[in-house]
Amino acid sequence: MHVDVRHEVAERSAGRAGLILIGLMVALAVFAPLLSPYSPRENTDTPAFSPPSAEHWLGTNDARQDIWTQLLYGARTSLSVGFGVALLSAFISILIGGTSAIFGGVYDRFWMRVVDASIAIPDVIVIILVAAYLRPNVLMMILLLSALSWPGGARVIRAQTLTLKERMHVSAARTFGAGWSHLLFRHLIPDLGPVLVAIMIQDARRAVFMEAGLSFLGISDPSMMSWGKMMQYARVFTYLEVWKWWLLPTGIALSLTLIGLSFTGFALEGVLDPRLREKDDHHHDGGI
Amino acid sequence: MGQQFLAYITSLANGDLGHSYYYHQDVLTVILDFLPWTLLLTGTALIVSTLLGFVLGIESGYRRGKSLDKTLLAGLMFLNGFPDFFMGIVLLLVFGVVLGVVPLSGALTPYSGLEGVPLAIDVLHHLLAPLAALVLVRVTSAYLLTRNTMITTLKENFILTAKAKGCSERQIKYRHAGRNSLLPVVTSTGLMMPHVITGALFVEIVFSYPGVGWLLYNSLLTRDYPLIQGILLLVTAAVLAVNLVVDLLYSKLDPRVSHAR
Repeated sequence: MHVDVRHEVAERSAGRAGLILIGLMVALAVFAPLLSPYSPRENTDTPAFSPPSAEHWLGTNDARQDIWTQLLYGARTSLSVGFGVALLSAFISILIGGTSAIFGGVYDRFWMRVVDASIAIPDVIVIILVAAYLRPNVLMMILLLSALSWPGGARVIRAQTLTLKERMHVSAARTFGAGWSHLLFRHLIPDLGPVLVAIMIQDARRAVFMEAGLSFLGISDPSMMSWGKMMQYARVFTYLEVWKWWLLPTGIALSLTLIGLSFTGFALEGVLDPRLREKDDHHHDGGI
Repeated sequence: MGQQFLAYITSLANGDLGHSYYYHQDVLTVILDFLPWTLLLTGTALIVSTLLGFVLGIESGYRRGKSLDKTLLAGLMFLNGFPDFFMGIVLLLVFGVVLGVVPLSGALTPYSGLEGVPLAIDVLHHLLAPLAALVLVRVTSAYLLTRNTMITTLKENFILTAKAKGCSERQIKYRHAGRNSLLPVVTSTGLMMPHVITGALFVEIVFSYPGVGWLLYNSLLTRDYPLIQGILLLVTAAVLAVNLVVDLLYSKLDPRVSHAR
């Protein structure tokens, strides 16, 4: 049965809502300089803690900075961490999961034990520990989060590759003497497509969440604007009215990004899992 | 360095995790002071969210496509998008600051001298908001998993047999289909453990709940390295222990696993 995944995800209401949310956030991040006349660190002339107005859509914070602008630039950090981690960790997942399935034997067993071990370890605590010794920047955050998030994907990719590699065209390529990298990148990855996207969405979601959570704890690149950091600062001033246009919009922006990712992922899962499909084939009721 | 590591391992075997700079006490003693609160919070959160997710998942999966199912699904997916700490902050602001019905911080009213039942109520009162924050965010995974398994299980032949036998709807839902859906839920609950601990960490910080997460945060701020390492070690050990318990529980729940041996 051929399934046009992209089309079907967009046709389900959860998938559509998710894609719209993600698109919105990406637009905010990309067009940040056009959407606001200020720079995120600029100390404006408006008094601190002013409520929302025509000049400052979300008011100003304690340092007279425009909160709306900070929100826009925060989206850049969140999304680039999410995107970076999704790409990098998917790449590692393919490399480890795919080669484990192709080679098998001791190599396979070794990597699967590594995966088992790393899934059992709580990643936030590992990152906190590492960050306690090193000062993190965005690049290092991406590397760290990827290093912790590839095992889940590797397990799925391995399972998928195990079935795929028995297919005729892969065997044919093998008889022609194709090496593992040719098999993996030429014959297996194209078939892994939708599964890979599902893994990447999951990784991205986790990465956005972790980045926000860690910067909420004060573990972040001091030179970057970040939603978690904004919430951390805003939390101090909860005794003022200011949380309504400082803390709340930031948290909502973060939540909407996460919800967008999980809705898209959920719709994708509904399309990919044949056991969940059946009933939906006649009427597309949003994957429900 | 090798000698240092050897010394570390040797003292570790004697239950000595080092000395906390900040508290000026043994790391183990400090952690044990804070541990009960975390166990209370994560334990109840894990149990409540799994049970709630399980029951909601069964009901929702059984009525797939009906309005209750759609509302539950959309609502819980939406809640799941909120990060734990933001959910905690919202609950704290709404119920603590605006409405003033829950305490703003801590796990006990200090120096209240309460005992017995009033003490238990006080503890529960403080536990309510952090617990709600964790449960609201965590319930979705158990729910989705149960719902998905329910949908597949309901297509099986033995469900048809049960219907033909004239079993009541409740019996089919919980005894026939539900029990089979329990397996993946238990596994994932075990796997969820690291995430719940992580979530509890953020929630504890937001509510200044004196658990291990709050302790970790403070040790991070005070750069109390031996304490940070000690906490990491204990949490990892706890997660591994939970995974073991889940494996053992498995054979109780699924006769196929225990017969296979």
